[in-house]
Amino acid sequence: MTEQKPRALSWLSRSWSNGTVLAHLFTVGFIAAWWGYAQIVPAYQLPGPGIVAERIVTFLGDSEEFAQLLLSLFHVSVAIAVAFVIGCALAALAHYVRPLRLLIDGRLTPFLNAFSAIGWLFLSMLWFGLDSFTVIFAVTLILIPFTIINVRAGLQELDGDLIELGRSLSRSPIRTATKIIIPLLVPYLFAALRNSFGVSWKVVLTAELFGGSGGVGFLLNIARQQFDTETIFAIIAFILCFVAFAEVVLFRPIQRHLDRSFGRA
Amino acid sequence: MRDTSSGSMIVQRVIADGAIVLVLIAWWATARNLPPFVLPGPEAVAQSMARFVTDGEVAFNALVSFARVAASVSIAMVLALAIALAVQAAPILNATVERRILIFLNSFPSVGWAILGVVWFKISTPTVLFIQTAIVLPFCIVNALAGFRHIDPDLNELGLSLTRSPIRRFFKVTLPLVAPFLVAGIRVAYGICWKIALVSELFGASSGLGYLLMRAQSASDAAMVFACCLVIVVIYTVTDYLLLRPLAARFSVNQGQNA
Repeated sequence: MTEQKPRALSWLSRSWSNGTVLAHLFTVGFIAAWWGYAQIVPAYQLPGPGIVAERIVTFLGDSEEFAQLLLSLFHVSVAIAVAFVIGCALAALAHYVRPLRLLIDGRLTPFLNAFSAIGWLFLSMLWFGLDSFTVIFAVTLILIPFTIINVRAGLQELDGDLIELGRSLSRSPIRTATKIIIPLLVPYLFAALRNSFGVSWKVVLTAELFGGSGGVGFLLNIARQQFDTETIFAIIAFILCFVAFAEVVLFRPIQRHLDRSFGRA
Repeated sequence: MRDTSSGSMIVQRVIADGAIVLVLIAWWATARNLPPFVLPGPEAVAQSMARFVTDGEVAFNALVSFARVAASVSIAMVLALAIALAVQAAPILNATVERRILIFLNSFPSVGWAILGVVWFKISTPTVLFIQTAIVLPFCIVNALAGFRHIDPDLNELGLSLTRSPIRRFFKVTLPLVAPFLVAGIRVAYGICWKIALVSELFGASSGLGYLLMRAQSASDAAMVFACCLVIVVIYTVTDYLLLRPLAARFSVNQGQNA
């Protein structure tokens, strides 16, 4: 019992000095400020945190609305997967088929990279109408340049000496690829996926809002037309928590692990 | 191993430019058999693009978008710089900025800002600026923080021994040291602003390229939709080559950033 107190104290002072306490205070202060401000402005402008939390719970409990959430998740997953495969293929082509390098690095990637997300969205709406394919098409095309750029950077950084070593150890190109090249690329492939995840959630709601017939963005559009600010807030808050949660629970630990095992600064 | 001989360069050039010509021909051939509201031909799109030079109203919309993007990126960068300076002055804030503010801004769906911006403020240019700034701010903060983290403490010390004025030190020592990161941040933010943050003009404005796109879409003017997309590509590419790349090259002293 006598030892507990100093330990708790030192824990407290440690988390104070590394800022954790302040960060938690910030969260509390933020929610308090939100609540306080919601008391003075009308609810259609800013619903309070309590109402929004309640709405999130009913949102998750309602099977129809929950299905829209799964649909959005489906859009995002397919778009990330397709963009990842196409992006990797293009980056590998640029690296290994030299005659195509300028076409991909100097023409295609800059073009895709400069193309507006809304542009792809509106074009796919013209071509495919309002459905899931439109949403997936638009999000995929937005993600492809991010993937190409990341994977391309990885291929360029491949350590020449290590490849040489691999060649001296095994003459099978498949073995070199699986044992040397792909492991060396892992941090870049991961960066590409992490980037894609962040960007895809930023744009998928826009795509569903304008060009979709389902998904969370579609719900957002209905709520917007009905001035249903509670639902708008609930959706935004839920997506925010979901993406932040994935970042903290999934991506950051993997990143730390990769940083340790690959020793990149 | 490495052959960057002129021969292989010429082959690459022929393939790269040949492919563009092929795409244009294929586009033209496909468009001939399709109604113009599905796929307008290259010549119709070129005509619509020409309106950005000849038609004053259309040109004005493009100019307005450009001015808004430039303003939002500047505002976001100044805010990010202020936040990074605050973190540097009081390191205890680091956890709050990185684990609260940054995650919050990064995870916020961009269309959410657009809708809230219109709910809170009216449809106006400040609303657009608010939405765009909110969307690009996290990208600026990441780079500003990275810049201050990479400052060599010895150089800072040197600055301290040279002058006692904190303002002079900021402009003569700190700012040049973080400049490469700020420029990198500006480049990223500028790209995101054109690509993603333009959504703000779909909701919050009655002018600009986003508004033009929306109008063309509802009028089924596919040629104009294409033209707007390509004009964005042109504006982004030209400004990146003429302004941001030279800036990045000038400030990338030894940071090893590839342009």
